[in-house]
Amino acid sequence: MFGATEYLVLGSILFALGLVGFLTRRNLIVIFLSTEVMFQGVVINAVAFARHHEHLEGQSFALFLLVIAAVEAGLALGMVVMLYRRKGTLDAEAWSLMRG
Amino acid sequence: MTLDALTQLGPEFMLLIGACIVLIVGATAASQRVQWASPVALVVVLLAILATWRLGVPEGDTSIPGLWLTPLTYYVRWITLGIGALVILANWHQPSESERGEYMAMILFSLLGVLLTASANDLVVLFFTIELVSIPTYVLIALSRQDARAAESSVKYFFLGAMSAAILAYGLSFLYGAAGTTTIQTVGSGLSVAGHVTGAPVSSTALVGWLLIFAGLAFKVAAVPLHVYVADVYEGAASPITGMLGFVPKLAGFIALIKIFAAFDWTLPQSVFWLVWIVAAVTMTVGNTLALIQRNVKRMLAYSSVAHTGYMLVALLVGPVAGEGPMRDGVAALLFYVAIYGTMNLGAFAALTAFKTGQRAVETLDDIAGLAARAPIAALGLAVCAFSLMGFPPTAGFLGKLYVFGSAFSLGESHPFHQAVIALAIIGVINSAIGAAYYLRIVSTIYVRAEDAPAAPASGRPVRWCLAVCSIAMLILFAWPSQLASQARSATVALHATPTRYHAVSEDPDAANDTSPDDFDPGH
Repeated sequence: MFGATEYLVLGSILFALGLVGFLTRRNLIVIFLSTEVMFQGVVINAVAFARHHEHLEGQSFALFLLVIAAVEAGLALGMVVMLYRRKGTLDAEAWSLMRG
Repeated sequence: MTLDALTQLGPEFMLLIGACIVLIVGATAASQRVQWASPVALVVVLLAILATWRLGVPEGDTSIPGLWLTPLTYYVRWITLGIGALVILANWHQPSESERGEYMAMILFSLLGVLLTASANDLVVLFFTIELVSIPTYVLIALSRQDARAAESSVKYFFLGAMSAAILAYGLSFLYGAAGTTTIQTVGSGLSVAGHVTGAPVSSTALVGWLLIFAGLAFKVAAVPLHVYVADVYEGAASPITGMLGFVPKLAGFIALIKIFAAFDWTLPQSVFWLVWIVAAVTMTVGNTLALIQRNVKRMLAYSSVAHTGYMLVALLVGPVAGEGPMRDGVAALLFYVAIYGTMNLGAFAALTAFKTGQRAVETLDDIAGLAARAPIAALGLAVCAFSLMGFPPTAGFLGKLYVFGSAFSLGESHPFHQAVIALAIIGVINSAIGAAYYLRIVSTIYVRAEDAPAAPASGRPVRWCLAVCSIAMLILFAWPSQLASQARSATVALHATPTRYHAVSEDPDAANDTSPDDFDPGH
């Protein structure tokens, strides 16, 4: 079996992948997907620590994190629909009315 | 948890029930009824203020799991609900009537989040309450006006907010892992036992957690590396809701930072101290410099909001170690300053809301030129708020800056970094002088310059009342600051009573051991 460290490494890989995706991708849905990947990295982290400390606080943390991720997913879809209706594209570059 | 304990949460329940009613009725009722949303929301906030007053100061009540009701809760209830009532006045006529119910409900939910942040005693609850503050603001910006810029700024704010929420959660999970508990009261003792075992002051896991939490919250308070969204969001959103954006997320972010710093008992490693020092110095300087080159008043106030975050970070860095009272205790100075800042910032945006040029809202310096000739009273209100933001007597903004920098200068020589903190305070004072340039530009534009495109009065009376209350409050609080200052001072009492690392180690290491059996440090 794996110790907590391996799970923490897995969590940090997911988090880093999400962060890189967030910074480099241009499609709004993919950008949002990247933040979800970051959240899953956090969830793995919380569960790994719960396993290490042998109690359930981290697991309840993970469950609550999923709730926040779901709320943000709902809001993100609403915004994506709103933007698509306005411009017919989901390219993040198309939205730069304000500069400076 | 008994019913008796739940009555301690009276103001929070008022806001929750009120928000749900306004949301459901607003979404279903005929549009001519929805204009009642604003008065109902105001009544809800006033009832919550009444409940706060009736309940009095809670004495560190922990009977509700995850919450810890302290004098900090009491202080934050007063300032949040007080400024919340003004925010509702400023937004009285704001979005079209078909959306006003949802809009008012989102304001109430966001205020509820701030109230609960002040009581949170659990890392998970803290994360939830911070998100409860933020998520309604994303919706508010999108609803605030039909402009495409509102949609753009809402999306920018939301995506960066989601990323910062993930960073914050990642940091909280590391802090939980290092301390072995999610209860904030015992995180400190959990960390100290961990530190005691490894011999290091703070384990590297806790340090990673601290850095990530600071990064995540830097977004909420608009500190420098994560301030890039501020100008676009402020410009895109409608003016009255921008006044709220400068206060509500900043207050929640600073409360969370205070709680995290208190868990570390303000004994930060040298590297962390210098990180906050640099962030504070750069935040002030960048905010003021970028504000100087703006011609759009909303963008100018956005960068001024960044600069004010820098001043508040000075007070946060000083912390409660210098002694008690706002001139010494950095946390009391910070809590005082954030209330003052919220009021004067809202006043400035209420003044912008009260006028329009043609069919669009007032935004640029050209739009407000010569305003004093047409609307002398509103122009005077705007001038008072600008002087207060500048920190010029006789306004409360002056006292706010005096307390913040006074706390830095009163740091004794026994403090290891007292020279660095004093240097930071001097940078802050220089920055205040730089900042005066662009606030004076606003004042001189409304009084001296001749008008090009006359600004016409827009929207109704409630916005004017909001502006009047904000500017009069700035003058009154300069004359009689003692009530607010003493409340801010007693709000920090609970922070001193936090079981600190050193107490836990020296007095009863075994008791602390029960909650956190071992240190976790993947690096070792």
